[in-house]
Amino acid sequence: MFVELNITLRVSRHPARNGKAFDEYRVQLEERMSVLDALFRVQREQDSSLGFRCSCRVGMCGTCAVYVNRVPRLACSTLVRSLECDVLTIEPLPHYPIVKDVAVSLQPFFEQWRRAKPAFRPRKPEARDLARIPKDSKYRRLTPTKRDCITCGACFAACSIVGMNDHYLGPAAINKAFLRVLDPRDAAREERVKVLDRSLDGVWRCHTQFNCTAVCPRHIDLTDSIVRIKRALFWPGRLLKP
Amino acid sequence: MKLYLREAVRKYRWQFSGMVAWLIQRVTGLLLLFYLFLHVETISKLSQGPVAFDQAVGTFNSPLFKLLEIALLGTVVLHAFNGVRITLVDLGIGVEKQRHLFWYVAVGIGLLVFLAGAIPMFLFAVLRV
Repeated sequence: MFVELNITLRVSRHPARNGKAFDEYRVQLEERMSVLDALFRVQREQDSSLGFRCSCRVGMCGTCAVYVNRVPRLACSTLVRSLECDVLTIEPLPHYPIVKDVAVSLQPFFEQWRRAKPAFRPRKPEARDLARIPKDSKYRRLTPTKRDCITCGACFAACSIVGMNDHYLGPAAINKAFLRVLDPRDAAREERVKVLDRSLDGVWRCHTQFNCTAVCPRHIDLTDSIVRIKRALFWPGRLLKP
Repeated sequence: MKLYLREAVRKYRWQFSGMVAWLIQRVTGLLLLFYLFLHVETISKLSQGPVAFDQAVGTFNSPLFKLLEIALLGTVVLHAFNGVRITLVDLGIGVEKQRHLFWYVAVGIGLLVFLAGAIPMFLFAVLRV
């Protein structure tokens, strides 16, 4: 059965227009429409000046993350119907500088990402053969669920520690470093561990609130990575063996 | 703000259990800290002699303080059970089940323990049946 949704969209405007921080639009949507579809409908039919970001529209690129009803979500993968409300409040992700309306710059996220040294550094750069990783290794068992990060920045926006500490690495960067630290082929383990182990902006800042895990659109258990890194730093001999 | 709070409680209670648990642990921790000061203050009356101590303890015999004692029991139970959950998570036990640990163990079993203590306290200390 074809169902229509009548939704009020409250969209944050930056810079504020006519002294109003939010603009309201009434939109008619079809049942399977996403938040991104709703934003497009507003932009095409009511207000062409509305600014937002998107790219792949299938939840792969992480560009369209916005704050929907106070929860960071991917606009393209969030069905309006699933939110079960008549008024949708769409704001830019917190903890990021706003570019325009609900579009933000991910610069703070990638600054921390860079600090975690995300690039792979081979242990044997001259080797021509493929490195074999045993099926039962810790790396093989843990990584399939943790490799899917699309760097949308939702975890960074949901993390209350990031909100209080500009220098905190953030969940995604820690997860990336965790993957590299665990990788038996990687040679830069000590450098990464040094960054992770910093008391003021490393893993020890995490208060285990699980907000990052709750909002991750790829369902990565980011807090688990942080907790594992903490334990690894506590018992380095046990968990950081190559 | 009210709307957001209501919606957060209605829809995101389960999703953001970790944050709820963290907040509860902080608030109960502060309440227990306040209680600790009160406790030390009362015990310190011992240095002023038995009369001063009896007088200080006597204030806690009123029904109002008995009700506060019941609230204290609830605070201790919640803080303790949630503390166990946090310790387990830090040890890597049940990280992916932390929501269940909070709602079923810290809140659920905690509530049973609380009731087991609170009902007799209410009957015999407040109502004095």
